[in-house]
Amino acid sequence: MNEEERKILSLRFVVVALVFLGLAGIEGLLMRLRIMNLLVDVFDEKHFYSIMTAHPFVGVYGWAYMAVMGAFYFLVPYVLNKDIYSKRAAYASFWLMILGIATIWTTTFLTHYAPLYTLYWPIPVAVDLAGWSPIAIVSFGAGVSLVLAGVLAFFFNMFATIFLPPRVASESSKARSAGYVAKELILTAFNIDKLVARFRKIPHYTSRAFEYPVFVVAVFRGCVDTTLNAFVIGGVGIILMSVGAYYLLPGAVQNLSMIDPLIYKNVFWWGLDLIADGNVLIFTAGTWYLIVPLILNRKLYGEKVVRTVILADLVVSLFVWNHHMLADTPQPFILQIQGQIFTWGELLTMGLTIFAVLATIWGARPVKYSAPLKFVLASISGYAIGGLAGIIQANYASNRFFHNTQWVIGIHGHIQLLVGLSLTIFAAIYALFPLLTGKALDERLADAHLLLMAVGGVVMGLAMGMAGTLGMLRRMLYPMGLGIYESFMNVALLGASMMAAGFAVFQINVIRTVGLTTIIKLFLPRR
Amino acid sequence: MYPQFVIEAVYFLVVSIVVVFLVVFYVLTRRGRSDSGPESAGHEKPGGMGKGEKRWLYFLFSVAVIGNLLFLSPVLPSIRYTLYEREAVMTIVIEVREYRFYLPEKPIRIPVNVPVEFVVVSYDLVYGFGVFRKDGTMAFQMQVVPKPYVNRIVWVFDQPGLYDIRSTEYSGPKHPWMYVSDAIEVIGEEE
Repeated sequence: MNEEERKILSLRFVVVALVFLGLAGIEGLLMRLRIMNLLVDVFDEKHFYSIMTAHPFVGVYGWAYMAVMGAFYFLVPYVLNKDIYSKRAAYASFWLMILGIATIWTTTFLTHYAPLYTLYWPIPVAVDLAGWSPIAIVSFGAGVSLVLAGVLAFFFNMFATIFLPPRVASESSKARSAGYVAKELILTAFNIDKLVARFRKIPHYTSRAFEYPVFVVAVFRGCVDTTLNAFVIGGVGIILMSVGAYYLLPGAVQNLSMIDPLIYKNVFWWGLDLIADGNVLIFTAGTWYLIVPLILNRKLYGEKVVRTVILADLVVSLFVWNHHMLADTPQPFILQIQGQIFTWGELLTMGLTIFAVLATIWGARPVKYSAPLKFVLASISGYAIGGLAGIIQANYASNRFFHNTQWVIGIHGHIQLLVGLSLTIFAAIYALFPLLTGKALDERLADAHLLLMAVGGVVMGLAMGMAGTLGMLRRMLYPMGLGIYESFMNVALLGASMMAAGFAVFQINVIRTVGLTTIIKLFLPRR
Repeated sequence: MYPQFVIEAVYFLVVSIVVVFLVVFYVLTRRGRSDSGPESAGHEKPGGMGKGEKRWLYFLFSVAVIGNLLFLSPVLPSIRYTLYEREAVMTIVIEVREYRFYLPEKPIRIPVNVPVEFVVVSYDLVYGFGVFRKDGTMAFQMQVVPKPYVNRIVWVFDQPGLYDIRSTEYSGPKHPWMYVSDAIEVIGEEE
């Protein structure tokens, strides 16, 4: 692929990601109204929970993953000054993601299948009890598997792009093999080459991770987490497809105890939480490390420390899943304490990341804040607000009051995703827009976009969190009235509306700058 | 005051400090003058941490240690009953199946200020078991992992009155209806 083709590929990913963000936003608003006991005749409980099932897949995989993919397909070759390893794999990931998310969305919309993203065993296969259709289980499982296949195609393409020499330069089949890439990845991602050098007493050995730009180090270390995540969640998709297909056979018997529910939950959360670390934390850190020095024309503060911090985050991320299981009393207590202590480790890694970014900005005074830099600063505040809430709820003692409440999904989940991660993605979009299109977006509209999204996201998240402290549960409808939670839900609706307005301002800005026809032409076949 | 309100107040205090710091940082960095060139990496020593970064790391590490110690100390009732006062004087067994709680009696009568063990067994799906005060605030909760697992929690009610039970984990579209009003009556006098 030449640079022009990579630009088009990236833009296609980003445009589709933005469509998914809009869709996730509409779903969010509809659910918010239903929680307030409005639209009761339109959405019964089953329909409501089917929207809730689709929402995180559309929001996380459709928006966050596809936007990250689009940015990395352009940035990684740009930074390394080499081509993407496989054009076919790049487009395979594009179509697999779209097809997978469309399958999940259509299944939940048509059948009202609603196991939620948590997929706690045996809820997704409880045909008799929950009233699911076996065809819906097969179709949903297929959708999940397709999405994760798309994710794997992307990450293997990234690994090959980073670790393999350009295709033309190496005809050696050994150098091209998947085993070679895996070996390079494991040695480099975990600094194992340095350990081997120490063991062999090689003096003055420089770790291979130091041969790559810090942004690329964040990409391949984050990709380790998200690849492991794809194997686990994709594996669950395959299990669902198999069980659903079995139910379609004549004489099939429902057996809810075929899988141990606690072991399943451990494996599931181990895999699922890696999204939080790989995509949400490490990729975000990597994007800050790239954008901020580029804009300020200045070296990143403490590069060596930063590389070590990314490695520490990768290691920590493998041991934090137990903070999701602090309310599971059959879980061994030692594992729960391990989950608590390792989660506090994220305070250190994220704290040092933020320090490096702020120190870089501080050293560049006086700073002329362009749109991407403002978005980075706002996303840091999102991480501080959402991250601190996450650390608080991840303690054994406090989890008794916060687990599964609106605190978890409001102050922690949504502020982290909508103010922390999403504003980082928008920072990347504002920074890359001139490079990809040759035109810059309007700064005043960008300011309005930032203000509405950041303030709206924080208002919504804090209102939800305060309702959570009062005992309002997530994933819950209150058919008999919201009682003391009602005023908080009104404020949360105001915050959500502000975010929607912010997104509309962004769309106006893009359409005014490049025109709608340019966006449509992007998807037409090219000569 | 309930423990979650105290935690929330501390959280809001810290977050306010962080937000004010970032606003001040934004204002200050728009002005001022850098004391190092564009290629400089600040005050960092070659290959190591700068003084400020080291101090920040020590601060974060101290917060992490203090936070862990605090949340593992018997300050909060949830950990106190789990780690430090585990002996229950009465046990209440509750069964859950097909989206319904089966209580041994309704209301379950419990004396105030006495450690009580709740044993909750699910015969089919993953559920939650949450006890709520009449004002809607949560007293405590746990997940209910289905058999062969048995889910146990010890709790001491320090306030007499009626309490509701609600499933705190999604188990299917009937989940919102897994609610038992006035399921527990705590009797006796508050200390």
